[in-house]
Amino acid sequence: MAAALSSHPARLLAANVSRTALCLGLLIVVALALALIFGRSGERIAVQMCVNVAAVVALGVYCGNTGIVSFGHGAFMAIGAYLSGILTMPSGLQRTALPELPAFLAGYELSIWASLLVVAVVGLGVAALSGTAIARLIGASATISTLGFLIITHGVAVGAREITRGSQTFFGVPRVVDLALALGAAAAFILIARAFRESRVGLFARASRDDPDAAAALGVNPQRTRFVAWCLSGMLCAVAGALYGHMLGAFSPASFYLSIVFAHVAMMIVGGMASVGGAVAGVLGVTLLQDTVRQFEGGFDLFGFAVPEVFGLTTVVLGLAILAVIWLRPTGLVGAFELGPGAGWGAFDRVKRATTARPAPPAVADVTLSAEGLSKSFAGVKAVTNVSFEAPSGRITGLIGPNGAGKSTLVNLLTKQYQADQGAVMYRGQDLTHLTREGIARLGVSRSFQNLRLFKGLTVYENVLVSAQAAGHRGRAAAAVALRELEAFDLGDLAAARADALPYGARKRLEIARSLAQEPSILLLDEPAAGMNPAETDDLADRLQKISEERGIGVLLIDHDLRFVNRLSSWIVVMNRGELIAEGVPEDIRTDPAVIEAYIGRGRTAAAATTQTQTTENQQGEGP
Amino acid sequence: MKLRSVLLATSMLAVAGAASAEEYVIGVMSAQSGYLAPYDGPAYAGFQFCIDEMNAKGGLNGNLKVRTIVKDTRSDIAEGVKVVQEMLDEGAQFIVSSADADPTIAAAQITLADSVPTMTFAGTAPVLTQVGPHVFGSYPADNQQGAVLAAYAREQDHSNVYLVKSPDSAYTLGGPEYFGAAFESLGGKIVGESNYSLNQPDFSAIVTTIKAADPAPDVIVTWAWEPDFPAFIKALRGAGVDTQVMGGDVLDTPTVRGLGDVVSGVVHTSGGFPDEGSAYASFIDRFKAATGTEPDNNYYVNGCDIAHMIEQAVAAAGGTDPAAVTAAMTGIENGEGIMSNFTFAGTDRMPLRDVVVARISASGEKEFVLRQSADPATLPKP
Repeated sequence: MAAALSSHPARLLAANVSRTALCLGLLIVVALALALIFGRSGERIAVQMCVNVAAVVALGVYCGNTGIVSFGHGAFMAIGAYLSGILTMPSGLQRTALPELPAFLAGYELSIWASLLVVAVVGLGVAALSGTAIARLIGASATISTLGFLIITHGVAVGAREITRGSQTFFGVPRVVDLALALGAAAAFILIARAFRESRVGLFARASRDDPDAAAALGVNPQRTRFVAWCLSGMLCAVAGALYGHMLGAFSPASFYLSIVFAHVAMMIVGGMASVGGAVAGVLGVTLLQDTVRQFEGGFDLFGFAVPEVFGLTTVVLGLAILAVIWLRPTGLVGAFELGPGAGWGAFDRVKRATTARPAPPAVADVTLSAEGLSKSFAGVKAVTNVSFEAPSGRITGLIGPNGAGKSTLVNLLTKQYQADQGAVMYRGQDLTHLTREGIARLGVSRSFQNLRLFKGLTVYENVLVSAQAAGHRGRAAAAVALRELEAFDLGDLAAARADALPYGARKRLEIARSLAQEPSILLLDEPAAGMNPAETDDLADRLQKISEERGIGVLLIDHDLRFVNRLSSWIVVMNRGELIAEGVPEDIRTDPAVIEAYIGRGRTAAAATTQTQTTENQQGEGP
Repeated sequence: MKLRSVLLATSMLAVAGAASAEEYVIGVMSAQSGYLAPYDGPAYAGFQFCIDEMNAKGGLNGNLKVRTIVKDTRSDIAEGVKVVQEMLDEGAQFIVSSADADPTIAAAQITLADSVPTMTFAGTAPVLTQVGPHVFGSYPADNQQGAVLAAYAREQDHSNVYLVKSPDSAYTLGGPEYFGAAFESLGGKIVGESNYSLNQPDFSAIVTTIKAADPAPDVIVTWAWEPDFPAFIKALRGAGVDTQVMGGDVLDTPTVRGLGDVVSGVVHTSGGFPDEGSAYASFIDRFKAATGTEPDNNYYVNGCDIAHMIEQAVAAAGGTDPAAVTAAMTGIENGEGIMSNFTFAGTDRMPLRDVVVARISASGEKEFVLRQSADPATLPKP
């Protein structure tokens, strides 16, 4: 299987190309079929469908890659439509229709191409401006803020009567969108959206979508990925809006308000929000359904029976279809993955171009991560009190302590997941408490999480690739690093699988492989063996030992399995009730009265405790 | 299955598209759902009813059968654009468009290429005819309604008006502004203005501003529709303000009249009034007998009048050539209608028609106040 793993990057590329081709093919086949079979009326349906594809794909660039539903895209469409309308309107008509238009906007009579270019630039500018605020937010608050953006833009469009005619109809926009332009634009949008999705930033965005904390711990800035996705999406939406305007010829602010926004969001969700293929499938499906049902609304003859006109049938059928999709396929028609075959598809086995896994990086230089008097309280409860210790490179440092001792809090303080109340974390001459989470990761301090925090929507390979790319590797170099870590943790066979489809032990290994792809100097592992069976734990210990010796990484290892920690660590730090109670070589720690007391209680002799400790170790090792 | 349905639909369209030589094909955009449905629905029903009556007597002017192509736009402008093109493909020689400026203007830009005459069901924004010489209104325009109502308000010795308007639609914004312009030209004064948003649930802030206006208004004018008007009038009367309220023709509905005490005495414009023995009353009887539905607003009868406008224009044109029909329509002077007579000559194709002023009685009935044509001297410019 090693050979198969080495060709994984090439197979993934092949899969991505075929997925894009499938999206394009689907669109082109449906559009041309409509135009060729049904003549002019079919062609117009195809034009409208293509413009909708462009708009929904543009919407999906933000929503699909960040997981945030946006209602703000009607705002960009309005900006694009009005701007392009003003720039392309014949001067004579403009003087009648917009007599009070400010001089700097009047009389350009641009061609559609020049106008679309201006629209794209302005759309990008507005997106960058609004994105500085909106990209700071996630989840429902981000969605609400996009709605706010839509409402504000609508208000401005209604109020700017000199430019937009207010709530009255804005007319005289050249109707220049034919099938070639609409289809070309939709195809271009699909290419751009697909390229962005698979690009480095797109991958970062999707990783941040699945788990912003884990992404930040790899050195990815989730806010920046949301910003970039918003900007690209806003720019594309503005262009789509211009096309929509040039298709209609007349519109008003209401044309870009809630009903069109909801229609587009519905199409996106019906198709599948997570992928470009979903956006395309959603628009195609809804259009075909709508326009088929519409033909029957005016009444028709069915085998000699006159069926009367049933207006509103379209809306009813569409509503039922949306309900059915939400009920039967909650992730949309296409599902959570991109439409089309993945890298694991049998037909791609013929793709042989191999990427050589990168050799292990040279042993890391001597560095030390030192905690200096760290303290942290939560609402008066002292979780960590004045803890100081060192985790140098080249050594596996165990961090143990009973439940609630403050171990995970300590790791979270070291990596800025929490801000320390007091104390410093010194590393390479810098105090890490003054850096961002991403900054710490970039300095070479990597971590795993106590609760699995994989990027669920990405494949195993992509999970590791994100990490390698976040560490600064580009292109094939990043792929080579990812392959190395997948090999090191025996995940090669699973490279094309979705991370959330893995068995538990493999997920644990994947998280460590992901951390190592960063090529860190210091690696913080928070309970890597928790939930593993003894065989898996031994296997993991072997792998960690090998990597630690080979690369000279400093490991801070937290685990409840004392046998596991004892086997690996050459230095052990013990915490209890937020305080550091002992540190030393494992032999000393095993006999330290304070440690024994912390684990099994007061009033036992050291000798008795030693026996007890052995028992505890075994129990812990088999525990959940 | 889907493909078969599509093919079936297309073949039906193809059969339907084969227009015969002795018929006049009228395309009708009618929103059967969405915000335009309450206007397009009745208007289409009235239009089709009178077309059917004409066809039963041999067609337009007794000799030209009419075939209508009616398509639902779902109040969606993009859908409207599509169906207008389809109707032209299917040979439509006249387009009757939805009851609002947006879809009418979008449609008119398409019909401009072949100058196919285009008339809105009930769009009242005077700007809609600016698209081209082939576009017509049918209902008394906002500025006519505003001017007649303003003249009536001045006759009642009202001199200070407070305007409540919404910039969210041309109608809710334009109506009060036209009223204000006419009112000022007749010597009245605007003492305050407030803006609301469509579907705004709470009008207490606006009511407070009205109460604080100095000098106090003796008439409040709004073109608000439902549900905004009921919310507004309840908040106003609830706050103890009993100033005279006047509004646009959207208040001419049974639901507004059914609001009880709060609307007692409210005065509004209307396109027509079914006086006993009038053609309008006869229309109501015939429509009710034929369909079982009581036409409870003017959109039914205005739809019927569109059929009469087309009939008279075709008669005057002496044929169905689009340019000739357009020219003939433009020249109609005091054409005979059922809701009221209509004059296109000398207007910018928004017909000059009588405007009725009506009052809601204490018992929730509609009382006739006066019928008047707007005075061109005080008619505010669109």
